[in-house]
Amino acid sequence: MIKSPARSLSTKLTLMSVLVSGVALLLACTGFFIYDQVTFRQSLVHTLSAQAQIIGSNSVSAVLFNDAQSATNTLAALKNSPNIDLAGILTADRVPFAKYSRDGEQAFVNLRTLSDTQIEGYWFGRIHVILLRKIIWQGKLVGYVYIRADLIEIDQRLRRYGLISLAVLLVSLTFALLFSSAFSRTIARPIVGLAQTARRVTLNRDYSVTVAPTRQGDELDGLIDSFNEMLKEIQLRENELQKAHRELEQRVAERTRDLVAANRELEAFSYSVSHDLRGPLDVVNGFTYMLLKNYAGQLDANAKESLQSIRAAAKRMSELIDDLLNLSRLSTSTMHREEIDLSAMAQAIMEELRRDAPGRQVEFVAPPNIQANADTRLMRILMDNLLRNAWKYTSHHDHARIEFGSEVKNGRTVYFVKDDGSGFDQRAADRLFQPFQRLHSAAEFSGNGIGLATVRRIIQRHGGEVWAEGVVEQGATFYFTVTPLPSTR
Amino acid sequence: MDALAHREINCSGLRRLIGAAFVARLVGVSLLLGALSASAQAVHPTESQVKAAYLYNFGKFVTWQMDRGAGSTLDICVLGKDPFGPVLDSTVSGESIDGHPIAVKRLVAIQDGSHCSILFIGSSEEGRLTSILPFTQSYGILTVSDMPHFAERGGVIGFVSIEDKIRFEVNRSAAEQSHLTLSSELLKVASSVIEQSSNGRRP
Repeated sequence: MIKSPARSLSTKLTLMSVLVSGVALLLACTGFFIYDQVTFRQSLVHTLSAQAQIIGSNSVSAVLFNDAQSATNTLAALKNSPNIDLAGILTADRVPFAKYSRDGEQAFVNLRTLSDTQIEGYWFGRIHVILLRKIIWQGKLVGYVYIRADLIEIDQRLRRYGLISLAVLLVSLTFALLFSSAFSRTIARPIVGLAQTARRVTLNRDYSVTVAPTRQGDELDGLIDSFNEMLKEIQLRENELQKAHRELEQRVAERTRDLVAANRELEAFSYSVSHDLRGPLDVVNGFTYMLLKNYAGQLDANAKESLQSIRAAAKRMSELIDDLLNLSRLSTSTMHREEIDLSAMAQAIMEELRRDAPGRQVEFVAPPNIQANADTRLMRILMDNLLRNAWKYTSHHDHARIEFGSEVKNGRTVYFVKDDGSGFDQRAADRLFQPFQRLHSAAEFSGNGIGLATVRRIIQRHGGEVWAEGVVEQGATFYFTVTPLPSTR
Repeated sequence: MDALAHREINCSGLRRLIGAAFVARLVGVSLLLGALSASAQAVHPTESQVKAAYLYNFGKFVTWQMDRGAGSTLDICVLGKDPFGPVLDSTVSGESIDGHPIAVKRLVAIQDGSHCSILFIGSSEEGRLTSILPFTQSYGILTVSDMPHFAERGGVIGFVSIEDKIRFEVNRSAAEQSHLTLSSELLKVASSVIEQSSNGRRP
């Protein structure tokens, strides 16, 4: 897999140069060949013409004095031109007068006519060229010279030329192959090295490697130098980054350790405080109960009322301590996240609330099957707090509407609980989630200011966010998110 | 090729029909241009036609020493019995050699022939040869005859018949004595070339 591009680049370069040189050679050979053919034909015609001229001027008297033997003797000189297989002299009336034939008796074939102004003409056939020339003597047409030459030599030349071309082509291609593969290796090797190093760098994230420069002073060398510098730079940054990262991690670990310690101390403190507070409270509660029970007859109404007040206050304090204990437990209990159906959970809580106050007219809206990946126990506490809040702050209205739902905002699921109750001033929204902070008086709505703090604690443990929007006397909406996957940090 | 050849013949035939005035000339031309070959299509020329054509053609291969004035004729003379009749006149009519128009003259006596360039001596003059040849030599005249052994007897060119064909013999010495230069082309086609000077050796 790593080797194939290397071979392909080198092969491409080799193929390219071989192809280029091959085509160039082929074109050159073809050009030379055509040139050779043309010049050969020209010189052949030229030679034949000269021979015809000589024969013609030497045969004038023979024709005029009807001496065919003399003309035949003149023609016999053509024996020295082996490519001429048929020649002859014709009278002005185109009657054969004397003949020379290389290969036995042959007739004059393809005897064409010449125009009045034409002295000579030639015709190329497939295997022969025929030249016909007028014998003009003292301004008069005496006769014709006919020469036919075979084109075997052209064929031979063609074959010889083809063979030589083939040999030259083969040798040239071999050399081109050798040279180009050598050259292409010098070009391809650095690129391949570069590519392999780049791949190694991306695969292993190892920026400490370098590519060996070619020292050829070409663009490739520049590229390799730049690449190496880039790697060096990346390595430097990487080192700095890692150093910063390590420092950061160390700092985070220190802070976390400090925080955990502080938190644990705080929780231990609040736990012990709650626990220790409960003892005296039980005593107060127990004795006031005994007083009311055992000395009911001796106490006047005023004293009874005072005792009742003490009891109510003690009870409230006990609840407060319970909530505080719960809150501290929330931080320490282990979480087990799973897919849960918040809709069903909300419905169950609403039914419970309706059972406790059957006289109220509350419309509850919640689409089915709203899922969340969260801890069931904690979510139950969260939903209970939010719905109970909504239930509580709509109690002044004769007819109330509570809605639970979810929507997708910026790619994350946002759950909400919405009511049309007394609402709150948006400016005070930040204070809502602080423990013991209350926007309404205890006389207006009962409560101890721990509920929303608990909600925020639960959401924090789920890596999510919680916020609220409200308008006085128009209602409030509480939004919360949980991180979608337990594995995400 | 045969078709072409036939066309040529037809052309010739057509021309022959055009006018009687052309007939003689046509025959002459075809003689001149070697239509004497034994080809079936050609008109078989008579012996005198051939000889007349040769007589004219000899003129083209001979250089005379005598200086003819510009515009003057080149005279072909016939001495003694004329074997040609009108054939010779028709053969050379309108022809010229080296720019000199050819004229045919018939001589009664050799003494009238000093202006001749070519002299055909009829066989009737065979007995008077010894007196004729010195005359022609002194005037540089090309002598031609069809009497037997003419070249051997001191004439320049003598017609002979070989295998039913009319050929000719050349006597180079006789030509030299007449200050005539014969072209090698002419010698080439001569049936034989005689080098001996035989002036007066044979009566």
